[in-house]
Amino acid sequence: MFEAAVKAYVDAGVNARKDIGSFLTAAEDYWEGYSIFDEFVPDQLGAVLRSVCTIGGDGLLAISNGAMQIETGLFDVVAVEAHSKASDMLTFDGILSHALDPVYNRAFNAHPYFIAGLEMQRYLHATKTTREQCASVVVKNKHNAMDNPLAAFPADMTVDEIINSTMVSHPLTQRDISPLADGCIVMVLASEKKAKELADHPIWLKGLGWYSDTPWLEARDWSAAGYTNLARDRAYKRAGIKNPRKEIDFAEVDDCFSYKELQHLEALQICESGKAGKLAEAGEFNCDGSFPVNVSGGRLGAGNLLEASALQSVLECVQQLRGHAGKRQIKNAKTAVAQSWRSVPTASGCVAVLSNEL
Amino acid sequence: MSFDKIRDPRKLRHQIGHMECDYVYTAGVAGERFYLALREDGKLLATRCDKCNITYMPPRMYCDKCFAELTNYKEVPLTGIIESYTITYFDMDGEVLPEPLVLAFIKIDQTDGGLIHTVGNIKPESLKIGTKVKALFKDKAKRTGALTDIKCFQPA
Repeated sequence: MFEAAVKAYVDAGVNARKDIGSFLTAAEDYWEGYSIFDEFVPDQLGAVLRSVCTIGGDGLLAISNGAMQIETGLFDVVAVEAHSKASDMLTFDGILSHALDPVYNRAFNAHPYFIAGLEMQRYLHATKTTREQCASVVVKNKHNAMDNPLAAFPADMTVDEIINSTMVSHPLTQRDISPLADGCIVMVLASEKKAKELADHPIWLKGLGWYSDTPWLEARDWSAAGYTNLARDRAYKRAGIKNPRKEIDFAEVDDCFSYKELQHLEALQICESGKAGKLAEAGEFNCDGSFPVNVSGGRLGAGNLLEASALQSVLECVQQLRGHAGKRQIKNAKTAVAQSWRSVPTASGCVAVLSNEL
Repeated sequence: MSFDKIRDPRKLRHQIGHMECDYVYTAGVAGERFYLALREDGKLLATRCDKCNITYMPPRMYCDKCFAELTNYKEVPLTGIIESYTITYFDMDGEVLPEPLVLAFIKIDQTDGGLIHTVGNIKPESLKIGTKVKALFKDKAKRTGALTDIKCFQPA
C-alpha cells in the first residue's frame, strides 16, 4: 500500500501530508482478517491525523464518495485506495460463504459459486448466448493480459480448454472464474481547478453511478444486471452520453465470471441484449476490434483483486486515456466506461465514465 | 519476474490467526412464521403488498417497492417452475461435495418470488428451465423448522 501510495502521489505531484485533505479506502474486514480494519489504514497512506473513512464497497464506490467529498467544496484533493491481500486468506471459500443469507441460503452447504451457475444458466437461456461464447471471453482476456506487465494470469488458452476445465457449478467451470491475486491501487482525485494546476492533461470523471439490488436471491431478476442498468443511467446522464456505442471508445467491465462481461456490456448498452456473445466470438471486443473490452486483461487475466478490482478497471482507463498503455495502447481513445460488481452473492455495482477531454 | 517471487505467505515470517465467528442467526418476524408453517403444516406462507400487487416468497416484513409494513400472510401453492438450475460440485469450504448437488431457483406459483432448493427424482440431463415442480416434504416428525423440511422439489 505504501508503494502504491508513493507512486500515485508522485504521479499527481502532491505531498500527502500537505496537499491531500481526505483519504478513502474500500475495504471489508473479513477480507483483511482484522476487526475494525479501518483503523489500520492511515499509516501506509500518509493519512495519520487526517480525514479518513472506509467504504464498505468496491473501489469505484470509494471514488464516487471521494468525488462527492470534492463536490462539497470541503476538499480539493482526495486519495482513494483499495487492495487485495488474497494470498493471506487461508479460508477464502469459508469467508465468501459467510456472505450467504444464513436462514435461506446456507442449508445445502453449497459453495456460493452456485449463484453464478444459476445466473449463467439463466443468462444463456434468456439471451441464447452459447457456452462457447462465454469461453471466448476468457480466451480474450487472458490473451490481453499478456501485454499487461501487472497482470497475474496471462495465458493463451483455447475455448475447449476452458469448457473442459473442472466443473464448478454447471455450466460454470474453473476457468470461467477469475483467480484471486494480490495488489494495491491508489488514485488521487482533485477538483477541476486543482486538477488544471496539477496536470497538463488530467483525466476527467464525467459521470458516476452506484446502485444495489435486493440482497434476496429469491427476488432477483436472474437474467439481468439490474444494478448496472441503474448505475449506467445515472453515470451516462451526468456525462451527457446518449449513444454509448458511438460516444464511448472502450470499456473495462467486471468479468469476475466469464458470462458477466457479456451481461455487463449489454447492461451498459454497448450492444443490444443478447448480442454480446456473438460480438465477443467475432472478435469485436478484442484489442483490435471495433470496441475493445478489458484490454487490461480484466479480472480473468489481471486477477480478481476483490474490492480493488474496480480500481484496476479505472486505472486501465486512465492509462489508456493518457496514452500510457504501452504495447496495448488503444489508438485515439477519448472516452471510456469502467464498471464494477462486488461478485457473488452481491447485486451491487458502479459505473464511471472517464475522458481525456473536459 | 513472477516465477521467482514467494507466492506462499507461510514461507515468510508469519503468524497464523483464527477469526472465530460463531453467531446465532434468528429468522426474523416473517421468517419465523414461514418456518413454523413449513414445519407444523407443510405449507408455504407468503406476504402480500396489495398496493404494489407483489406477493413475496419467502415472506417479507416490508415491501421492497413502497416500504410498507406487510402483515397480510397468505398460503401459496407448493408448486412452481424451474427458472434456472445448476449442478454444483463444491461445498462452502471449497471442498468437493460427496455427491454433486442439483440446485434450482424455483419460482413459486402465485408469487413474485421463489425458493432456492434441490431438485430430486429427475435425471440431471433431463433438467430444463420451465419444468413444473412440486415440494416434497419430509415426514412431520423429522421436520426441524428449516428449509430442509422440504426434502426436495420433484417434477409435478
